[in-house]
This record gives sequence, structure tokens and C-alpha cells, in this order.
Amino acid sequence: MKHILVIDDSPTIRVSVEFTIKKLGYQIRQAENGKDALEKIAEIQKAGDDIALCICDVNMPVMDGITFIREFRKTDKFTPVLVLTTESENEKVSAGREAGASGWIIKPFQPAELLKIVEKFIR
Amino acid sequence: MIRSTENRYGKTLYTLFPGDYFATGEDCILGTVTGACACVCLYDNGRRLGGMGHFIVPGMIGTEGIFADDIATQGITSMEYLIGEIVKLGGDRKYLKAKLFGVARLNSRLSDMEGVIKSNIRFLKEYFSLERIPVETEDIGGMNRRQVLFYPTAGTAMRRFQRRNDDASEFVRIEQEYIDTMFRNKPRYGKVYLFE
Repeated sequence: MKHILVIDDSPTIRVSVEFTIKKLGYQIRQAENGKDALEKIAEIQKAGDDIALCICDVNMPVMDGITFIREFRKTDKFTPVLVLTTESENEKVSAGREAGASGWIIKPFQPAELLKIVEKFIR
Repeated sequence: MIRSTENRYGKTLYTLFPGDYFATGEDCILGTVTGACACVCLYDNGRRLGGMGHFIVPGMIGTEGIFADDIATQGITSMEYLIGEIVKLGGDRKYLKAKLFGVARLNSRLSDMEGVIKSNIRFLKEYFSLERIPVETEDIGGMNRRQVLFYPTAGTAMRRFQRRNDDASEFVRIEQEYIDTMFRNKPRYGKVYLFE
């Protein structure tokens, strides 16, 4: 089974993203920060399943989104990671790209557009 | 937002205007005057920091819930900006507490004022319930403009009703302009950068 992991410290954003992309038919998992996400990924892989895509916020307690991407990219160079954040400064976008993000979406997101982007990356 | 050090409170006062948000760990006061807009005060008591946001959800929210609604998304984003600033300062959403003010029924220019006010009150209730952020003070609705002062490091707030709704006329004008702009514009979405 393929999973999409939604990483955000806001339950409202996690539910909102899940509501938007659930029609794609993937198993949606939620994590509340980068560290929680790495643990969930290990769990999923241990169960023999795959991660199709991660959608992650930047500003989160415990482990922020950029650190998560750097850690994730140490073992996985290919699974797409989309950043979904309120951060719009060029330096942050560059830091995300350098860490290994596949895209940077600034909140608020347009549901139809997010769905299209996710579809493009998991195809 | 205006910062002033010379005032009657003996602390730095940050005055927020409609659409503003600000978070800090400084021993200061955040102040605003709110009419139909919501004034949200948040604080993380353990880390002694907090912030204030002043915004309106520009329209009526549908029946599915705020997480599935385009109009409510604008309110969620306002909250995300405020909480994002608190998290950047070292705060944690899990330990936040909220005090809510405003959303008074006094904007006669809105074509369905009652509906908009109800939607804004519903937004606040649903949002804080979804976020599991305890609301310590819920001083919303009514017919009067409110002046709010908030001590972000202590989490203490003071509220005073304006005797007349056209007192603090500068705030009345700015709030009206902000509300008009929010209602005139279509929902705004953020930019997208794809690297692959």
C-alpha cells in the first residue's frame, strides 16, 4: 500500500489537506512535526509499505520542516516532498530547495491546485 | 502596527491594526480596538511568550466545516501566520491558550451582517476546537466596539467597551477599509514553486 504523509503541527491544516487529497485513493497518514514524521516513515517501511509523497510545513516545534527534509533525504533521494507553509521569503524557499524539497506551496492553498500538484508528483 | 515607548502603561506598547499579527517574548503590551473583526490573543505560559492577531473571515462559511471551506481558509491562514510567529520564537501550539474578543454586530455596510458575524463566531469556535487550544476568555459578539490590551508574557488581557462605537475613529476608519478590501477581493492563494 502507498501512503501520503501530511506533516504539520496544525490539526486543522492536516485535516484540510487530507480532505483535499483523499480522493486520490492513497492511505493518508498524519505527523505533527519532523521527528514524528521520521518515526511514522520508519513504521510504514517496517510494515513493508511505501511512501508516495510527503507534504510538510516549515515552522514546527521539535523538528522543523527543513531539518526533516535534510534528514529524510539522507536515506531517500527520490520520494517527492512538497513544502506547504506561510513562509514566502526567498532565502527560506532556497533553503528548502537545497535541502531537497520538490516544491514550495505558500498557504493558503487552492484545493484544486494542490490536488493537481500532488497528482503530478505521484504519477 | 505602531510601537510606542512613551505611554501611560510604563511598558512598550505595540498597537495592532486590522489585518496585523504580532508575536513576542518581550515584556510589553499588545493593544488594539476591534469592532466586527476578531482579536485573538494567544500565549504559551511555559515559555512566557504570546501574540495577537486582528482579522475577519470575509464571508459566509459553508456547511461542511472550516477545513473544507474557501472563505474559512482565509481565517485559518491568518491564524497560521500568528501561530507560525509564536513557533519561530520557540512556542509550541500544544501549550497555547487563547483569549478571544470582538466580532461585534456593528458593520452596517455588510449586506448580510448577521450571517457574517455568525460565520466568524463559528470559525473561532471550530478552529480552536480542531486545534485543541483551550479558550480561556470568549468575549465575542454583542453590539459594542472593544479596546483590548494584552500582556503576551503573562497571558493577561484587559477589555473595555467603547462608550460610543465611533470613539477611536482612526480604528473605525481603518477597520472599515480593511473589511471592504477583504470582501471586495476574491479569496487569495499563495504562490507555488515547483523544483522538479
